[in-house]
Amino acid sequence: MSIHTRLAAEPFRPEEELAAFSSALDGEGAVVSFVGVARPESLSGKRVSALFLDHHPRLTEKSLEQISRAAADRFGVSAIRVVHRCGNVGPGEAIVFAAAASRHRRAAFEAADYLMDRLKTDAVFWKREDGPSGSAWIEPRDDDHGAAARWSEKCPE
Amino acid sequence: MIVGFYGILGEVIGREVEMDRPGHVRTVGELRRHLATLHPEAARELAAARSKASIDDRLVGDEVSVEGEDRVEFFPPLSGG
Repeated sequence: MSIHTRLAAEPFRPEEELAAFSSALDGEGAVVSFVGVARPESLSGKRVSALFLDHHPRLTEKSLEQISRAAADRFGVSAIRVVHRCGNVGPGEAIVFAAAASRHRRAAFEAADYLMDRLKTDAVFWKREDGPSGSAWIEPRDDDHGAAARWSEKCPE
Repeated sequence: MIVGFYGILGEVIGREVEMDRPGHVRTVGELRRHLATLHPEAARELAAARSKASIDDRLVGDEVSVEGEDRVEFFPPLSGG
């Protein structure tokens, strides 16, 4: 089982991460990846000129590893790669890349879905949206908590 | 002792503050209240149960002692990734 996580202080290219992930595969038949992109508007419709992700010098990386390990253990996937930005992210830039590989596609789809739900609620970040009308620190949405909660109802196969 | 802050607490108070721990501040809870008097603009967030304290990268409750600790950190609720 191969788990690779990275906290990126600078912009990264999702296509390079996918290429790196894919080139290290070992016979898996399924690769599923997700990219989260900074939106130019907040939920309330205000223009966002930058997203600032504050992080902890140790706990943030640890949370990425823990969440990735949990996904690998739960879904039996053979490889996971997570890259997550910290610091300032501009609109249209990638915030997070999450990928899973498995022998067959079901596990890879579910692991990637789970990874994102967990990252959205449990990854150690504090996000601030900056824009012309000011800055606002944001908290996880009820949607995100609801999404993460569904994994405690589902049974892994 | 050094107290570290993240998220909105870090923005309002600063990433870290160095202070002499007064003798009457013995627990995390007492430290919260003391910090709230020093930084009234952050008092509400500091006092909120949803803001967590951490010593040695582990979350700790308000009853935990801070005597002899070099560093305590306070985390507002996580935004998530």
